[in-house]
Amino acid sequence: MKANKDNVISLLKKHKLLLIVSLAYLILVLVAPDRAREAFSGSLYYLVEMLQVLPIIFLLTIVIEALVPKELIVKGLGEKSGIWGYALALLLGSISAGPVYAAFPLTKMLHKKGASIANVVVILSAWAVIKIPMLANEAKFLGVNFMILRWILTVISIFLMAFLMGKIIRPSDLPIEPENTAVVINPNTCIGCEVCLDSTADLIAMIDHKAMLTRQPIGPIEIDSLRQSSEKCPVHAIHLPEIPSHRVPKIDMPDQTIETS
Amino acid sequence: MDIFTLVFLVIAVVLAIVSFVKDRKKTLSAVKKSRKMMGSMLSEIIAIIFLIGLILAFLPPELIREFLGSSNTLLSTLLAALAGSITLIPAFVAFPLIGSLVDAGASIVPAVAFLTTLTMVGIVTFPLEKKEFGTRFALARNLSSLFFAIVIALTMGVIL
Repeated sequence: MKANKDNVISLLKKHKLLLIVSLAYLILVLVAPDRAREAFSGSLYYLVEMLQVLPIIFLLTIVIEALVPKELIVKGLGEKSGIWGYALALLLGSISAGPVYAAFPLTKMLHKKGASIANVVVILSAWAVIKIPMLANEAKFLGVNFMILRWILTVISIFLMAFLMGKIIRPSDLPIEPENTAVVINPNTCIGCEVCLDSTADLIAMIDHKAMLTRQPIGPIEIDSLRQSSEKCPVHAIHLPEIPSHRVPKIDMPDQTIETS
Repeated sequence: MDIFTLVFLVIAVVLAIVSFVKDRKKTLSAVKKSRKMMGSMLSEIIAIIFLIGLILAFLPPELIREFLGSSNTLLSTLLAALAGSITLIPAFVAFPLIGSLVDAGASIVPAVAFLTTLTMVGIVTFPLEKKEFGTRFALARNLSSLFFAIVIALTMGVIL
């Protein structure tokens, strides 16, 4: 019963925003049906836009994940990419299509594969403001001078902003996806030496002379003990993928980031 | 579908096929990962889309036009920046709207503030940004975008 209840709660939490919006529509239908119809039909344009753009984003995230080597992203957009990184990020953001929310999964993927925070900000901002069809539209309705001046000022602002964000935001401020915290022990390399049991006896069991993970670690202490085992392992069979020491999930720990809301 | 989006679709499909041919296993695992990522966003994206419609029903372009045309430039700039942060209007609606205002003699400062926050600051898309990049990142990016949008607007007012 309890598991069932937990399921419902997590489902409600997951769709919280959708629930709120649906409720707002429901109330509006009752109070002002005309407004509700207007709102609904106004949304359809964006729905069509999303349906056009999401498949592209879906395919591109797959391509980045599977086809683009990590080293290339680190070199082109990483912390040490410097001014060329900014230029590349600006170019990538400018040749994009679709609304900015489509850029979130793509830039997240790039960040996971080594792009710096500053360059992520450049891509997101350029994605939002600078688009070739949009620039043409702007020149048509507001004049070429207006468009060029706004473009120059925007690009300067984007670089300043990215530089500042790169200083303010640490990689540890970004949420960690649960899949990244999965720890794996490679049974093909494990030699059954049991050294790992010294620090992680409650998470690892020896089965058939191979170390097996009994469950995934919970909280920073267990992850840390697994990291120790991983470092001690003579054949490096314990993999803690994508959890550098500064990104250990903060579970049951007070939030230490200062927010300026 | 406009030509630009179409070109991107073709490029994306071609690259995905190349990836599949080159490394089938890796591509399939990437498909799984992406599907999970998009799946977790979908509910929020749909919610956001209908939220935009809701906001536009209460804050239609005509009303925004009134804000922007006000004679008090400082007030109208702040209101314009705010309106741009809340709403998401497609470019092909926004540019003619702003263009007609400027032609009618309105100050360009609120117009630019509106145009820039319209795309760079997203209060509606904030939940999604927060989910992907964390509260601190989303807050810092949106606030600094708002600040720079006003700086850009004021600078353009001085130059033009």
